[in-house]
Amino acid sequence: MEETAAADPTPGIDAAPPTPRPPPSPFAPSRSLLEWRRRVKSEYMRLRQLKRLKKAEEVKTLFMSNRQKIEQQTNLLNTEWSKLRIQSIPLSTFSGSMPGKKMCTVEFGFPGFKSQAITMRPLSTVAGIPFMYSWSPLQHNFMVEDETFLHNIPYMGDEVLEQDEAFLEELIDNYDGVHGDREGGFISDEIFKELVEALSQYSDHEEEEEEEAVVAAEAAGKKEDERVMRRSSKIPNDKIFTAIASMFPYKGTTEELKEKYKDLLEPPDPVKLPPLCTPNLDGPFAKSVQREQSLHSFHTLFCRRCFKYDCFLHPFHATPNVYKRKSKEIRMETDPCGVDCFLLQGPKNLWIRICYGHRGLGDDGGSSVPPEGKEGDSDHETTSSSEGNSRCQTPTKLRSGDDDGEQQACCVVQWSGAEESLFRVLHGTYFNNFCSIARLIGTKNCKEVYEFAVKEVLIHRVPLEDGGISPQKKKRKHRLWAKIQLKKDSSSNQVYNYQPCDHPDHPCDSSCPCVMTQNFCEKFCQCEHECQNRFPGCRCKTQCNTKQCPCYLAVRECDPDLCMTCGAADHWDSKVVSCKNCSIQRGLKKHLLLAPSDVAGWGTFIKEPVQKNEFISEYCGELISQDEADRRGRIYDKYMSSFLFNLNNDFVVDATRKGNKIRFANHSVNPNCYAKVVMVNGDHRIGIFAKRAILQGEELFFDYRYSQADALKYVGIEREVDVT
Amino acid sequence: MAPHKQSSSGGSHPVGFGPGGKANGFYQPSSAVAAAKKPNMQLIQDDHELFLQAFEKPTQIYRFLRTRNLIAPIFLHRTLTYMCHRNSRNNTKRKTFKVDNLLFKVEKMRGEQETHSLASNLQLTFTGFFHKAGKPSQDCENEQNSVSLEVLLIKVCHKKRKDVSCPVKQVPTGKKQVPLNPDMSAGVQAKPGSFPSLLVPSSEFEPSNSHMVKSYSLLLRVLLPGCTQTQINGLTNGENHHSRDFTEEVVNRKRRSSSLREEGETTFVAQMTVFDKNRRLQLLDGEYEVSMQEMEECPISKKRATWETILDGKRLPPFESFSQGPTLQFTLRWTSDSSDRSTAPVAKPLATRNSETNQDTRPCTLRSTQTLALKESVNTDMQTRREQISAEPRQKLRILYQFQYNNNTRQQTEARDDLHCPWCTLNCRKLYSLLKHLKLSHSRFIFNYVPHPKGAKIEVSINECYDGSYAGNPQDIHSQPGFAFSRNGPVKRTAVTHVLVCRPKRTKPSLSEFLELEDGERELQRTYISGHNRLYFHSDSCLPLRPQEMEVDSEDERDPDWLKEKTVKQIEDFTDVNEGEKEIMKLWNLHAMKHGFIADNQMNEACLLFAQNHGAYIVKQNLCRNFLLHLISMHDFNLVSTLTIDQAMAQLRLIRSQATQRERDRQEDEEEEEEEDWETAVESQPELDPDPDPDPSEYKPYSEETSAGCLEKENQEESGRGAATTERMLNKQKLSGSVLN
Repeated sequence: MEETAAADPTPGIDAAPPTPRPPPSPFAPSRSLLEWRRRVKSEYMRLRQLKRLKKAEEVKTLFMSNRQKIEQQTNLLNTEWSKLRIQSIPLSTFSGSMPGKKMCTVEFGFPGFKSQAITMRPLSTVAGIPFMYSWSPLQHNFMVEDETFLHNIPYMGDEVLEQDEAFLEELIDNYDGVHGDREGGFISDEIFKELVEALSQYSDHEEEEEEEAVVAAEAAGKKEDERVMRRSSKIPNDKIFTAIASMFPYKGTTEELKEKYKDLLEPPDPVKLPPLCTPNLDGPFAKSVQREQSLHSFHTLFCRRCFKYDCFLHPFHATPNVYKRKSKEIRMETDPCGVDCFLLQGPKNLWIRICYGHRGLGDDGGSSVPPEGKEGDSDHETTSSSEGNSRCQTPTKLRSGDDDGEQQACCVVQWSGAEESLFRVLHGTYFNNFCSIARLIGTKNCKEVYEFAVKEVLIHRVPLEDGGISPQKKKRKHRLWAKIQLKKDSSSNQVYNYQPCDHPDHPCDSSCPCVMTQNFCEKFCQCEHECQNRFPGCRCKTQCNTKQCPCYLAVRECDPDLCMTCGAADHWDSKVVSCKNCSIQRGLKKHLLLAPSDVAGWGTFIKEPVQKNEFISEYCGELISQDEADRRGRIYDKYMSSFLFNLNNDFVVDATRKGNKIRFANHSVNPNCYAKVVMVNGDHRIGIFAKRAILQGEELFFDYRYSQADALKYVGIEREVDVT
Repeated sequence: MAPHKQSSSGGSHPVGFGPGGKANGFYQPSSAVAAAKKPNMQLIQDDHELFLQAFEKPTQIYRFLRTRNLIAPIFLHRTLTYMCHRNSRNNTKRKTFKVDNLLFKVEKMRGEQETHSLASNLQLTFTGFFHKAGKPSQDCENEQNSVSLEVLLIKVCHKKRKDVSCPVKQVPTGKKQVPLNPDMSAGVQAKPGSFPSLLVPSSEFEPSNSHMVKSYSLLLRVLLPGCTQTQINGLTNGENHHSRDFTEEVVNRKRRSSSLREEGETTFVAQMTVFDKNRRLQLLDGEYEVSMQEMEECPISKKRATWETILDGKRLPPFESFSQGPTLQFTLRWTSDSSDRSTAPVAKPLATRNSETNQDTRPCTLRSTQTLALKESVNTDMQTRREQISAEPRQKLRILYQFQYNNNTRQQTEARDDLHCPWCTLNCRKLYSLLKHLKLSHSRFIFNYVPHPKGAKIEVSINECYDGSYAGNPQDIHSQPGFAFSRNGPVKRTAVTHVLVCRPKRTKPSLSEFLELEDGERELQRTYISGHNRLYFHSDSCLPLRPQEMEVDSEDERDPDWLKEKTVKQIEDFTDVNEGEKEIMKLWNLHAMKHGFIADNQMNEACLLFAQNHGAYIVKQNLCRNFLLHLISMHDFNLVSTLTIDQAMAQLRLIRSQATQRERDRQEDEEEEEEEDWETAVESQPELDPDPDPDPSEYKPYSEETSAGCLEKENQEESGRGAATTERMLNKQKLSGSVLN
């Protein structure tokens, strides 16, 4: 910006090259262009100034609201504490007239002022505490993306030493750039839009003077006609864009700017939304869309592993495999839901027979219905729990004579877009259970729903089901041990991150990513339940803390959806679980305390005594890639303080910015804790365990060096680069 | 050669173990000396460098600690279990101890005092007179090597009215020839009985008829014929374990340096109180070494009785006094009969309890503590005991210290002939004690015991695991912050556990525990004391944790505020997700984060809980269909069953109808029967809107009405009735649900 701004409105030569538009007359445009450029500049500056002020104001209000929040919280705590009988923080408020107190006097050279004196009040000494960089508390790992921009240049002390300088240069080379490098000359879309709008004010004033402006206005008027949807704002004078283009050459030509401006005007339009976004189903603009569209956001954002939307840990979320539904899920509605139920529409006692009926309403759209093979033999809904059979029940009427009346009703009933969408969604789950669908829709009865279904030709779309579980458990168990052993012994001591596999065409063979990375298939994989690579879980009835337990042997925590006998799936609310191999997932950590260490800096201390091998805490932090860890590690090494912890071949846990209290545990060569990387429901997590019995109030140490060697011993991680 | 020489002489060598180097230090085994030939000079020097590198620093540290422990001991070695043989008292009486005995003893003592029946004689056996000017002697028969000693009993009587000062009566008890500078260190001694001995009969301590005797004291007067005049020591006190070593060395040194001055006869005196004016016995059985003073005009000036020793105007450390001045060694015994052994002082344990501290500074030192062996000390004869003690090192139990360094690739062996610790010169007396001491007090090294035909071999290597972390009681280094008594009355403090009695299971002492052992046995060395005696801090604010905040872990929420904000923001940032979806996703995420669900089979519960907790909000914000979408999506992921969907939606419907009902209540204030009406309505058509407007296309206005901006207000107002209704309605709905299912 400085350049262009510095090149003041001297000659037209400067302005001419960036102007693609051929000037109609050589003299007038250059003059007006100069004028415009001046305006652009001043307006731009004004807007920038405005922005800055606004930002400052924003910061101020944020700060104030923050102060307020703090004050509220303080008051809250104070009132709470005032109720308790507690030891208050001692204040040095001695009664005023203590003898031997020093007086502090302020004297003025000016005779008019009296000198002021007050007794000195010495504050009691407060022992210093070790240095601590701020960090955010966390109880679960948090994945962050690689930072290609260096956010700040690390502070290395007041005088930059020569080797530091070299280090910084090297550091900056590692990144794509430093944050905030190109501040000046930057013109954001927002500013651009405001700039054009501000400038168009000028054009309004000068319209009568400049004949060209009239032409532009005409053109704008034409455009206006084209865009009926748009509100009456016209496209401003071309001159404005020309001037802007000459001021900010890198933003593109006049035409491009113009187009951009038009685009920028779009969003205010409430109807216009990104293509995949469907209108709010509860809102007034709900549209009738397909099931996939309605559920698209939910399906794509939901993390099946964290049970959260847009979770903090898994960047890729698999969409559900609709066709592999648990078969027993679909229950049949055997009884009519009420007197007006569609099941009772025909002759009274015929409702049972409808289940045998196949497309009795063929005329309504039965022509396109695919024939259902199993249908005939399966639909004894009195034994509706029968598994492995088709859920298809085609509750139709036998009498086509009723059709007319139904048709009529169908025509009468109005379906809103939301209801239609909802019906499609529900039909994908409830199929022909129209009573349930109607109840869930809430605004339609089952008759109406049924009729709509008929119209929609959806009655007979029923998923295929596959057979039961093959009885081969015994065999698999034996194979399991061998497999675990194999995985442990395997020559490449590499452990890779687990990613659910999804290859619908073929079973998990050597091309399956799980097999390739030597991970077991988890419940999150899209493969068959009977997949050979699946970990079957344990059937222990004990505590799962010996190698007798296959989960323990494979350095996995018991999966609450696989290990049903050990207690990992019970007592969700209590802290006492019979299975000792599910502590990390349940967060059964010990109460830790923070205090200045006996060794160095801060230390972690334990509140209650623990037994040997008991779980103490998970080492949480940011989950970063190995590359990012290398980049960060370089800075941490310089600071001589690192919270990096190698997790597997793909990821490193960094507790520098986010973490939990265990991050303060110090290193010792003779530690009382050890670290172990455990596979917990598909995620590698770092557990800190007691190496020996630890008494209350003891400081916790683990061996930073051994944690890697140990990991090697347990799961086989090898990392040649020394991280910490 | 040179470095080796140096090392053995103990001057600058790191393992030059104390000032007693010459007498007790290592000597190089001949093999090592022989091996060191000239061409290997460089090699040896390098080797020595490595040796120094490894052992210099820890040795210096331990030497410093030794000195510190001598001057200001933190603990006494004799109190350690494995050093119990250094302790002179035993606890055998504790077994039979009864509290009544105390009273009994006190009463008895009182009676004794009244009758004053001290039926025991004071027996003094003089070992020798040590003076640097004298020459060591083997036999005291030689006139040249003995001095004449006169012992007087001084009775200070109570002042009578006419007396100006206290009447003093001197009773001579006898004169003896005492050997001058007998050679003690060599252990070559004359027969036990050959020492001059003196008996003060018990009758002397009887109250005399004319005066009431206030106190008794012994005046020892030594006449040194033709003695050399040396410096005079001041008075001294203090205990020194190694005084003899010092003495000898300093004597040897002084002989060369001190200015000698021939004179005729010199008299040295010393005075010791036997009974003080409270008639408490001050002298117990034991070995004494008394520092003597040269007699001038006034033999003993109480004014000069200080704890410091002044020599040439300079202060001397407490130990030095014994090395400097002339001292008299003797053994004191109380015998009930002149021929019989006795235990006179035992009769008055209470009276003598504080004798050491109460005593106004007498130039005497109780040496019993360090030289008396424990058990048999009282009963056995002093001389035989001495024999035993000195006999122990004379077995020539050779301890070979094998120093391993440079990653255990090199080793150097040095040997000692006694059981003194090479670093702190502590006489451990037993091999077991030595090893235990080394292991516990010098943990910068690793000691491994290897049995050896001549004695023992101890492998010494650097303990790489030593990290300097304090392994002791944390309460010793951190004092409790804050104050116990606030103005508002008693307050809670951090609970601190003080172990009063700790009797860990002790294994029987055996040398095998010092053998090199496999890993994993380190657990045994742990502190037995624990507690929270330190100030803890909040991890978020670094503010001190108050005692009442100890019990709650305040910073361990699964969903800290920032994370909640983050997830909301993250979802808000999506551009292709509509508001309804965003709203329900945010709600669900906060719900899931709060409860921390981990298993698929928790999801049914989770959804129902969600409906229960957030149902009102969902209804109010008009998100029911989005909630249904969420449930269907969960079902698509195989996480919930259709039953759950039905139940959750039924719950939502219930809440909605309640809201509507309340709305209606407000409108039709007067009507009485509405509740029943409404119930029947629900019963009859649960899936239909309770809303009077049947037109489904007008969903929006209906829901706006339902959303009931006043819901919360209403809720508060009629929470009682509302709750009751809820419960009833819940049953109703569930019932109908089950019928339907």
